[in-house]
Amino acid sequence: MTKEERIKKRYRAEKRFKFYGIISILTALLFVFILVQNIVSKGSSAFFRTVIQTEVNFDKDALGLGNNPSKENVLQSDLFDFSVENLLNIYPVDDFERENEILLLFSPDYEIEIKKYLANNLDVIGQTVILELTSSDDIDQLNKGNFPRELPENMRRVSDFQLEVFDKLNSENQISKIFNNYFFSNGDSRDPELAGIGGSLMGSFFTVMICLLLSFPVAILASIYLEEFAPKNRITEIIEININNLAAVPSIVYGLLGLGILLNFMEFPRSTPLVAGITLSLMTLPRIIIPCRASLKAVPPSIREGALAVGASKFQAVFHHVVPLAMPGTLSGTIIGLAQALGETAPLILIGMVAFVVDVPTSPLDPSASLPVQVYLWSESAERGFVEKTSATIMMLLGFLIVMNFIAVYLRQKFERKWN
Amino acid sequence: MKNSKVKISSNNLNVYYGNKQALFDVNLTLNEKEVTALIGPSGCGKSTFIRCINRMNDVIEICRVEGSIKMDGMNINDKGVDVVQLREKVGMVFQKPNPFPKSIYDNIAYGPTIHGVVQNKNQMDELVENCLKKAALWNEVKDRLQEPGTSLSGGQQQRLCIARAISVNPEVILMDEPCSALDPIATAKIEELIDELRKTYTIVIVTHSMAQAVRVSQRTGFFHLGKLIEIDTTEKIFKNPGNNMTQDYITGRFG
Amino acid sequence: MSEESHIVKSYEEELQNLHDTLIQMGALTESQLSDSLDAVIKVDKESTDKIINSDQKINKFRSKIDTQIMNLLVKRAPMAIDLRSTISALKISQDLERIGDLAKSNAKKVKPLPYDLPDELLQNLRRLGELVQKQLSEVLDSYVNKGLDKAKTVWENDERVDDLTYIAMNSVTDFLSQDKKNLDFATHLIFVTKNLERAGDHITNIAESIYYLIKGEYLKGQRPKGREIEDNV
Repeated sequence: MTKEERIKKRYRAEKRFKFYGIISILTALLFVFILVQNIVSKGSSAFFRTVIQTEVNFDKDALGLGNNPSKENVLQSDLFDFSVENLLNIYPVDDFERENEILLLFSPDYEIEIKKYLANNLDVIGQTVILELTSSDDIDQLNKGNFPRELPENMRRVSDFQLEVFDKLNSENQISKIFNNYFFSNGDSRDPELAGIGGSLMGSFFTVMICLLLSFPVAILASIYLEEFAPKNRITEIIEININNLAAVPSIVYGLLGLGILLNFMEFPRSTPLVAGITLSLMTLPRIIIPCRASLKAVPPSIREGALAVGASKFQAVFHHVVPLAMPGTLSGTIIGLAQALGETAPLILIGMVAFVVDVPTSPLDPSASLPVQVYLWSESAERGFVEKTSATIMMLLGFLIVMNFIAVYLRQKFERKWN
Repeated sequence: MKNSKVKISSNNLNVYYGNKQALFDVNLTLNEKEVTALIGPSGCGKSTFIRCINRMNDVIEICRVEGSIKMDGMNINDKGVDVVQLREKVGMVFQKPNPFPKSIYDNIAYGPTIHGVVQNKNQMDELVENCLKKAALWNEVKDRLQEPGTSLSGGQQQRLCIARAISVNPEVILMDEPCSALDPIATAKIEELIDELRKTYTIVIVTHSMAQAVRVSQRTGFFHLGKLIEIDTTEKIFKNPGNNMTQDYITGRFG
Repeated sequence: MSEESHIVKSYEEELQNLHDTLIQMGALTESQLSDSLDAVIKVDKESTDKIINSDQKINKFRSKIDTQIMNLLVKRAPMAIDLRSTISALKISQDLERIGDLAKSNAKKVKPLPYDLPDELLQNLRRLGELVQKQLSEVLDSYVNKGLDKAKTVWENDERVDDLTYIAMNSVTDFLSQDKKNLDFATHLIFVTKNLERAGDHITNIAESIYYLIKGEYLKGQRPKGREIEDNV
């Protein structure tokens, strides 16, 4: 082969390689795009809920609360009958069965919604106000276009009459969609239209916090000791091998550990972020130690020598010079480890964070679920309304992971700029 | 010879790295406020020797030191000697400039801070200014003390390292090929600086450049394969060395 | 001196070239000195033109050596023995050039001389000239062979040169006092004698340079001096 032919062949090979690379990237992006598009298209509707605009007449006598009821009076009263009466006004019928069907158009939450409104707006007593009351999940799905209207009535969850009412209300613009704050503020619920991630969000938050508080200091100090101070002998070699292996252990094994020791032996409260946090911190420890050690190793020995030469003790040289330089890599590793902990499902299921918890937890000792567990639970439910909620929760999870990664990148850049 | 007071002396110094012996029975003296150059081919032990003087070899686990090194009459390897205090008295400048990744000001302030040398910020400002002036760097950096030390050029970085070394007020400065990574002008500035510094400090410089050793030092020692072959005034060594090996090395007949 | 050669071959060659050029210059100077002495003793007026022209060659050698030394200094920054070799070569070439000039000057003095000079005078001049020739030959030998003792001996023999100069000078002043008409001739002959003495001094300089080159120290003590010449010219 002549020289020119060889050169041409080389150029062609390089072009081919570049082409393969670009194709690979495009393929990967395509998959990511498909994934994201799928989730977003299914989940974006969860951020809105359908409401029915209902006229409510806060007649003093009908309320039966007296002249100047206080907030507590209102919240503690029974306004069920009052609510039903007002609701039925949207489409007057005689039939008891039909009345039931009308009531079924609404989310069973209506009494609470009316109560809350009244309690916060005591001055409306004596007035008639149009409230936006949450519809039932069937109506919600119907309004969002997910409902198969063509099916025969006995295969539908919504009767012909309900459809009729719905269409009439819709034509009179009494059906609308508003931003679904319930998704964020409510805990889990049997009713899909009322279910929210509030509980699991707090549960995840407490879990990750505890995981961070336990694993970060231990991991950092262990890394520093192993890398800088420990003598290099067989024992430390064995420790290093073991730590590397621990990082590869399937997370469900940690779940078993949590179950066996924390729940059974030490009898910690089940389903709590406390237990979840401790379990996950065991898993996250090696995942922080490994990048931290790598960062410490990467600090050039000239920095250490420079510090020692100026009269710093070993301790000072390490903590004043080496550790700050290792921080960017360590922080990146930590945040990625925490992001992984955030997404863990299997170990949390084992320690019981599958509870159906309605109340939003206020401390790490309250039982709760976590975001990925919530996804798992909802994905098992039959109602159509949970489909969009599941996807929306996945969107939230992905959003958090992206934010955490951005924080990692930002912190890394900030530290690197400062120290370099 | 005016300043003949002995500052540092080594007596039958033997250094081992594990089973390998790096220095054999080295006996030499370094005089106060004088520049002593150490020359010799690569791997001959000169860097090992100077690292014994500030006990940087302690960092290497397999390194073993036998024999004595005395500074002002006291053996620095004695059990009771505090290495940190020793390194306050014996500073070091390395081959590749290694300023801390901190601001110029903090680079110099670090040593005095951890040794508790100054009381307040004003004193520290003064100390930083003095050190930078002594290192002939003040005029170039006085308007940007908060910028990172690593933003300076190679020659400036090395002068910063020298300023850092003198910030803790040492008595001896060890220099391990300080100019080998620098261009000729930066090298000339550092040699000029060494000429100034030797009025105050005892200096030992390891160098691969014969011409530099001649320009900068008053005494020169020649090492070969871990042994000190000859040590004498620089003039004698470079005009008429007593030992043939020395002559062969400095004229480029082997090396 | 070292048995090893320089790692950089061209450095070794440059030093060797300097050495060789200096030896050639020395050989030429030797033959100039010998030829000019012959011309004086035999009052051979035909040979002097050739001798006078040949002096240019010595000057050319001087320039060549100067250039070689400049190059060595700027390229090699020579140390120790190499430094001493280089500087000695510079000094020796200077002395050789001066000796060459003195030989030329003597050749110039031949044409005006008479054919009937007294025998004793010519013999004294011959003895002085032959001693100076021998000194030059020995000193160049000591350079080639690095003979320390030989250099020292040449240096010490300067005393003998002074003695023979004194004797020769006396012959000339006798010749002058014989007949006032000899004034012109005597003047030339005084210059010839003086030139030979100064050539001897330059040779002693060369001996000192060679001693320093080999030993690295300067020859101690005063130069040995023979009988002083009374200045009566």
